[in-house]
Amino acid sequence: MTSRQPQIVAFGGGGFSMDGNPLLDEFVLGLTGMERPKVCFLPSASGDADHYIVRFYRAFSPAVCEPSHVSLFRRDKGAGLGCDIATHLLAQDLIYVGGGSVLSLLGVWRAHGLDRVLAECWERGIVLCGLSAGSLCWFSEGVSAFHGPPTRVGGLGLLPYSNCVHYDDEPARRESYHDLLAEGMAPGYAASDGVALHFRGESLAGVVASRWQAEAWWVEEVGGTISEVALPVRWLGKSRPLTAA
Amino acid sequence: MGRTILAMGGGGFTMEPRNPALDDFILTLAATREPRILFLPTASGDANAQICAFRCTYGERSCRPVHLSLFRLEHQRRTLRELILSQDVIYVGGGSMRNLLAIWREHGIDLLLREAWGRGTVLAGLSAGAMCWFEAGITRSAGQPAPAAGLGFLPGSMTVHRDGDPTRLPVFLDAVARGVLADGYAVDDGAGLLFDDDRLARVVSSRPGARAYRVERAGDQAIQTPIEPDLLAAAAFGLQRDVPADVREFRAERYGAAGRR
Repeated sequence: MTSRQPQIVAFGGGGFSMDGNPLLDEFVLGLTGMERPKVCFLPSASGDADHYIVRFYRAFSPAVCEPSHVSLFRRDKGAGLGCDIATHLLAQDLIYVGGGSVLSLLGVWRAHGLDRVLAECWERGIVLCGLSAGSLCWFSEGVSAFHGPPTRVGGLGLLPYSNCVHYDDEPARRESYHDLLAEGMAPGYAASDGVALHFRGESLAGVVASRWQAEAWWVEEVGGTISEVALPVRWLGKSRPLTAA
Repeated sequence: MGRTILAMGGGGFTMEPRNPALDDFILTLAATREPRILFLPTASGDANAQICAFRCTYGERSCRPVHLSLFRLEHQRRTLRELILSQDVIYVGGGSMRNLLAIWREHGIDLLLREAWGRGTVLAGLSAGAMCWFEAGITRSAGQPAPAAGLGFLPGSMTVHRDGDPTRLPVFLDAVARGVLADGYAVDDGAGLLFDDDRLARVVSSRPGARAYRVERAGDQAIQTPIEPDLLAAAAFGLQRDVPADVREFRAERYGAAGRR
C-alpha cells in the first residue's frame, strides 16, 4: 500500500451544494491523484435529505468518478453498499461531507462510530472535504449558528484550530467568532463562501477559491484585540480539465 | 400536574393518515382547548414527508402546531429551551432511534424533554418516538433489530410494530428471556400505551385487533400477556369532525362554499 499524506479541504461554503461553480469540487477530485476516484458523499448533517443526495450525484457523475453515498437514517432498508460502512469508507479516495447542522452531524456520526472511522480514513490519506458543517466538523472547535445566536461547538479535532465558515457572508457569525476568541477559543481559520482551506497533515498547505477575490483569514486574539491576517488565496478560475488526467 | 406519555407501537398521521383516532386522542390529553403541539421529526432526519403530514393533520385541528428541525437552518428566533418548554404536547416521529437519541443529546434536548415532562407537557410518539421514553427498545437503526438504550423516563422496555414488522419481536423476547432487557411491552401498530407518571394507566387503539402485550421474564422464558385496549371511537372524531365551528364560519365568509370542509 502506498502511503498517502492526510489531507483535509475545508470549504467556507460553495461547491455543488451552494452554487453552480464546480471549481472547488474539481479541486478536491484532483487532490486524490486518481483518474477516476472513488467519492463518497456523507449527507448526515442534512438528515440525509433526498434532494441533496440527488444533487451530489448530478455533480459527481460516473464520467469523472465512482460516486456513492452513505445514509445513516434508513439503515433498516439496507445500505446498498454491499459491505459495512467502515469498509466502504476506508476504500474511498475522497469523502465529501455536506452542510447542515454540525451538532446533529456529530451526534449521528458518533452514534454509528463514524468519528473513529473518519479519523482512520484521514490517517490513511483519504482526502476529506466538506462545506459549512462539513468544514467545522474537522476542527477542534467552531462557530455554529443554529437555533439562536451563533455558539461554540466542539468538532472531531483532527485539525487543532477553530473554524468559522460563511465568514464574509454572515456578519453575525464573524462577530460571534471574535467574541468566542476573546473568551479563549483556540485561534483558527475563517473562510468565506467560495474559499477552501487545504491542509496537509495539520498544516495549512494553501488556500484556493472558486470566486474571484473571495478571502480567508487566520484569526486570533492578540493582547486583547482580535487580529485578522488575510491569507494568500489562489483563484482556481483558469479553467482546467475535470480530473487532471 | 401529572406527567403523561403516550407510546404508540405505530399509527398516527405518519402511518395511518386516514385514521386520525390516535392523533385526536393525543390532543385530548392536553389540559387546554387549543394546545400548542410541537412535532420532532428528528428520527427521520427531519423528512419533509413527515413534516407535511404533521401540518396536514394538525393544521386542521384545534391546536397550534409547530415543528422543530435539527438539521435545517430555519432561523428560529426562539431558543430550543423556550420552544420546548412552552408546549402542551410534544409528538415524536419514527425513524432511527439511535440517531434520534444521539442528536437530542448533542443539542441538549433530552434534558429539556425531561423538564417539559415534569412540568406537565404531554409526550407522545410512535416507533422510535415511543421506545425512546423507556429504558430500552429494539431498534433497526443499524439494519438488523437489536436492543438499544432509551432515555429511561419510563421503567422497563418496549418493542414496536409487533404485527407490522415481525423481525423485532423474537429479538425482544430473547433479550427479555435472557435478562438483557427488563420486562416491558410489545405493541402493535395502532395501539398506544398511556402512562400516568410511570404507571400504565390505559391502553388505547385506533383499530379493532391492535393490541399491546405485557412481556415478562419467567425462568428462561419471556411470557406475553395481551392487554385489551380501549378502541378509540374514530367515528366520533372522524374525518369531518376536525374544523371548529368558528373556523368553518370564517372560511365560509371568506371563501364561500369552497372553503367549507
